[in-house]
Amino acid sequence: MTYPNTALSIEHSTGHGRSAGIFLLLILLLAPSLSSAKIYIDITSPSIKKMPVAVFDLQGPQGAEISDVIRDDLTFTGLFMCVDKSSYTETASQPFSQANWLPLGVEAVVKGTISGDRNFSASVKLYDTADGREIMNKQYQAERSLLRQIGHTIANDIYQALTGGQGIFRTRILFVGEDGGEKGMYMMDWDGQRLRKLGLKGSLMLTPHWASDGTKIIYSSERGRQWGIYLLDFLKLTEKKVFSAKGINMAGDFFPDGNSFVFSSSKDGTPNIYSYQLGSGTVRKITSTRGIDVSPAVSPDGKSIAFISDRGGSPQVYVMGTDGQELRRLTFEGSYNTSPSWSPLGDRIVFSGRKNGRNQIFTIAPDGTQLTQLTDQGNNEDPSFSPDGRYISFTSDRERIKAIFIMRANGEAQKRITPRSLKAFGPRWSPN
Amino acid sequence: MKRVAIIVVLLAFVAAGCSQKAVTRPEGQQEQKKETTGTRNEANKITENKIPSDVESVGSKEGSSEMMKEQEDVFKDIHFDFDKYDVKETFRPVLKSIATWMTKNTDARLSVEGHCDDRGTNEYNLALGDRRAKAVRDALVALGVPPSRIDTISYGEEKPVCKEQTEECWARNRRAHFVVLTKAGK
Repeated sequence: MTYPNTALSIEHSTGHGRSAGIFLLLILLLAPSLSSAKIYIDITSPSIKKMPVAVFDLQGPQGAEISDVIRDDLTFTGLFMCVDKSSYTETASQPFSQANWLPLGVEAVVKGTISGDRNFSASVKLYDTADGREIMNKQYQAERSLLRQIGHTIANDIYQALTGGQGIFRTRILFVGEDGGEKGMYMMDWDGQRLRKLGLKGSLMLTPHWASDGTKIIYSSERGRQWGIYLLDFLKLTEKKVFSAKGINMAGDFFPDGNSFVFSSSKDGTPNIYSYQLGSGTVRKITSTRGIDVSPAVSPDGKSIAFISDRGGSPQVYVMGTDGQELRRLTFEGSYNTSPSWSPLGDRIVFSGRKNGRNQIFTIAPDGTQLTQLTDQGNNEDPSFSPDGRYISFTSDRERIKAIFIMRANGEAQKRITPRSLKAFGPRWSPN
Repeated sequence: MKRVAIIVVLLAFVAAGCSQKAVTRPEGQQEQKKETTGTRNEANKITENKIPSDVESVGSKEGSSEMMKEQEDVFKDIHFDFDKYDVKETFRPVLKSIATWMTKNTDARLSVEGHCDDRGTNEYNLALGDRRAKAVRDALVALGVPPSRIDTISYGEEKPVCKEQTEECWARNRRAHFVVLTKAGK
């Protein structure tokens, strides 16, 4: 099969990991920025006072749209408060002056311009009002169709300049959608924009799982009365069936190496946990229960597996080594705990637990302490973390139809990001 | 010095390349979904007799053949308690008549579908459905049906017969459902 418009070279860019892909090119000319070791917001601090910032509409055509993207991104983090434009005493065209901002309590100011038509360039500056100096000055170039991505890229750079951390504003979320009775894989930006179908259809489909470099996913689909595990390679644009056997076969996480993954299968009778090596096709059995073992999730260091087992009489979260040794039960509250997933630092496991007859999202430390309930409306399932660990995506039916929601990792700012018209579930945040 | 970073944005069109593969069925699974017993001139094709679920089926289809009617009477859904996969004693008569039917219709093969209500999570429900289907299969095998004539598949919560959020509806969805696979032309 041939694909038009494929294969363009990919380079590494700091701050985004390996962003791989094809077709749309976004070229950023990053001017040398003044390096600043100053951290304006300590994002590791448990209680953070929101930093007041002023983000001007970039001057030029569609500059306001780009600035809207930047403001939305920064606001959702919960770290920043975008000060109302009407309170500004400085105009966009006037030079930055520290004296205009200190009385307003604004700590950082974003100003910039846009020029060009189909290919446009943006110039963005970030000012520290306390020191009264410029701390970022960057140029961006892209096709105008990539307007939102430009906004997200600028927001990432501002976020990094102020916090020292990597922003997630260019990440995407994959999920399974159901439109007109047919299920399919969908992708959208993390804020729910640019929703598109990937064209992978199946009568039934389950949560996808990303490889850590973001170049491929595995997922399960039922086709022809058989459950198989499929691999989609975003670079080669190919889908292939990697595992199928009688019974249910459900993909879990990739190991960090990206060459092997865990899955559950009832090929030998009862659902148990296995690992699969992509190159060799080697299948290794990890658990041997007579009950149900499903939903294996690999810890970020690749050394532990969290999974669900009903061996104690009800579905609960267990943790074990990758060889099945050192098995221990993690959850003891409630009688129905499922869908575990690790935080990127490995310091939390998020899962869906049944409380008062409904499924809610909880987090727990891997040692079984710090159980925290994050949701309380409707049924909430399929939770997983964003790559920076600061947010969680999940499925909720609180507005009747199942939809994808995101929230901060402490449960704040819960919001629906898929349209009401689309039944959506099984979201997974891209690793980069 | 200026650094050029090329960031590529993902594929709206992974689609185009993969959709064709997406409909490819695994080998040996070329079943034809048909409501009636099969196309006589195509030997060896497997056809499905979809058996409507118990309550809905009565009188809902016109022109059902006698065989279909008989199957509806015999292949009643087996129901389960919440989060359970043991076959309750009350369903023993249903299983017995299925086993009897299977010994009379030696060409027939059976697919047992395991289903769940939608209150649990997807993956766990698929495992639960798998256990339910297999529990029913094992019960039929114990009644003398050869295991080679019974397949199982789990659909978890994905194919409900009832979509209300009521206890009665959930109970109807927690079921093992039977699909008779007959060789055409016989």
